Amino acid sequence: MKKKVLLMGASGSGKTSMRSLIFSNNPASLTARLGATIDVEQNHVRFLGDLILNLWDCGGQDAFMDSYLTTQRSTIFQHVGVLIYVFDVETNEMHKDLEYYRDCLDGLRQFSPEAAVFLLVHKMDLVRDKDATYERKKKELQEQSEKQGQAITSVTVFGTSIYDESLYRAWSSIVHTLIPNASVLSKHLTIFAEACSATEVILFERTTFLVIATSSPPRSPPPEAAPFQELEATRYERTSELIKAFKHSCSRVREEFHSLEMELPEFSAVLDEMTKNTYVLIIVHDPTIETAALKLNIRMARRKFEELQGLT
Amino acid sequence: MTGQTSNYGATSAPPHQRTQSSTSSTKAVARTKILLLGQRRSGKTSIKEVLFNGLPPKQTFFLETTMRIVKHTYDTVTPLEIWDCPGNITVDTLGAPLSQFSALIFVIDIRDLYKQPISKLVEFIIAAYHDNPQLLVEVFVHKAEKLQDEKIENFRQIQERVQDHLVERECEQMPYNFHLTSVYDHSLHEAFSKVLHKLVHSLPFFEDLLNVFCANSQSPKAFLFDVASRLYVATDASPVDSATHNLCCDYLSMLNAFGPLYRTPTSRATRLRMPTAEPPPDNPLPVQTKDRFYPSAAATLHSSAPGTTLTYHLITPHLALLALVPTGVYEGRRGLLEYNVVFFPRRGAGDMCS
Repeated sequence: MKKKVLLMGASGSGKTSMRSLIFSNNPASLTARLGATIDVEQNHVRFLGDLILNLWDCGGQDAFMDSYLTTQRSTIFQHVGVLIYVFDVETNEMHKDLEYYRDCLDGLRQFSPEAAVFLLVHKMDLVRDKDATYERKKKELQEQSEKQGQAITSVTVFGTSIYDESLYRAWSSIVHTLIPNASVLSKHLTIFAEACSATEVILFERTTFLVIATSSPPRSPPPEAAPFQELEATRYERTSELIKAFKHSCSRVREEFHSLEMELPEFSAVLDEMTKNTYVLIIVHDPTIETAALKLNIRMARRKFEELQGLT
Repeated sequence: MTGQTSNYGATSAPPHQRTQSSTSSTKAVARTKILLLGQRRSGKTSIKEVLFNGLPPKQTFFLETTMRIVKHTYDTVTPLEIWDCPGNITVDTLGAPLSQFSALIFVIDIRDLYKQPISKLVEFIIAAYHDNPQLLVEVFVHKAEKLQDEKIENFRQIQERVQDHLVERECEQMPYNFHLTSVYDHSLHEAFSKVLHKLVHSLPFFEDLLNVFCANSQSPKAFLFDVASRLYVATDASPVDSATHNLCCDYLSMLNAFGPLYRTPTSRATRLRMPTAEPPPDNPLPVQTKDRFYPSAAATLHSSAPGTTLTYHLITPHLALLALVPTGVYEGRRGLLEYNVVFFPRRGAGDMCS
């Protein structure tokens, strides 16, 4: 199954930077080397076996934008699964950005009315008062989107920065809408978590380390077990960020990261390959559970999860 | 960051207050004093904050100018007291004789004009030569990330000029070392680790232990790291290759960051609890509790046959043993490997470190 993802926004807003971070495992410090994108750069990213993300990174200079909206209109806006529109939070030309954004929404409504729309208020690291700025921008963008009528199904706004975990949060939620069997995966992860006496099990995509699915909290938590809701709220995206950073460190010494197990004072965890395109992270708080047992469980569950992804 | 107490000024209280009990704990231990000097805005406070307070390097931009001497205490193998001095301090205004200090770190901004900082450095070296010839003089040529091509050239130039000045003043016997550093990569950690090694009296002992560990565990490289600051206290006899050091440093920072992510308010306490003598009455099965909880971690690299495993074992609350071990050895003889690790502190390092 192929899903087309449009990445649009003004020139210099950070589209190619975030693509290089998420899909090419480059660190944020190297994004300064990226040049301007000319016209459209198409990428095929295999995601979870049968899902292929067809990523269209659209150069944002005015001349290109004008041509997307006129001569290339049907090519660009046909069969779109997701539109990601990036706004530079510190832009001086918000008015022009919004105008192009409205035109793009028009195009989308005409050719792919079913598409989901994600708006990223990017470069949030540059502003001092993050929450207030984000709320203001979010309100403004939502108002702009509503003017266009009800044809677009959903518009979701995220504040992002390549220097922290917020980018992973936004992208995890974007790919989540594209995965057809996310709820099935989640159900099986919950069963798996129970089998491991785990507090939580998280499934990541292999190359991007974006969160695909998580186990749901146990219905009747054992009384002495850790209260689930008290875990750090940003833990998934922070994990993605940490693992990606470490993968990059490994690649610098020409090593490839393979698996990780931890018995820390706070928790035990195993991060290992589940199927050939996913990684699983098991978090256990019970000190009597050995990591070797968790690894064995992963091996036993591998076949089932391959089946779920239609790999066998 | 648990081991860190940011008790600024705990020891910089005026003398008449020092007798109070609140400062007695910090006064009880003899601290190794390190003097952090350099021109205004050369990066002294950044260095101190990044290493000992876990400040993200990007945030150093917002640090305020230091107006008076700030004494920062840090507990590791050797308890340290770092004196972060304002830029205009001189030998006379320091307020303490140089003989009190074990090391002097002089920070020079690589983009600065060198005349002033170098003449100041020379003043301090000469004063040290007379007062305290044993003082370690380490020069950090800092903010190396700002320059690309001229970096090495500038670094060499600074060294040459300092050398010339000292020859002129007939003081060339005083030993000193140069390091090229930056808060944005691992060079600062590596340079400061090298300074630290010279201050740890038990270094030969640790090195011997590490050598024995490496020989018995087929490990090509092992480091003893201070967990919070990510400085390595000792390593085995094989030469340190920067790439390996950087990887271990990154590994440690990942593990440090992971801890709080999945923590629950009670998890730490329940997991670290020592086994109780009798099983709880409502549980008929014998409780399986570990003898003692040794926090550890392992990352396997390179999935193919001759892969490497990066192991991490917390030995004392402050020190962790990081080693590169062949994956085959780790998987096949993990028990023996852990026995070697457990043996490590029992030989006395545990007492010495804590």
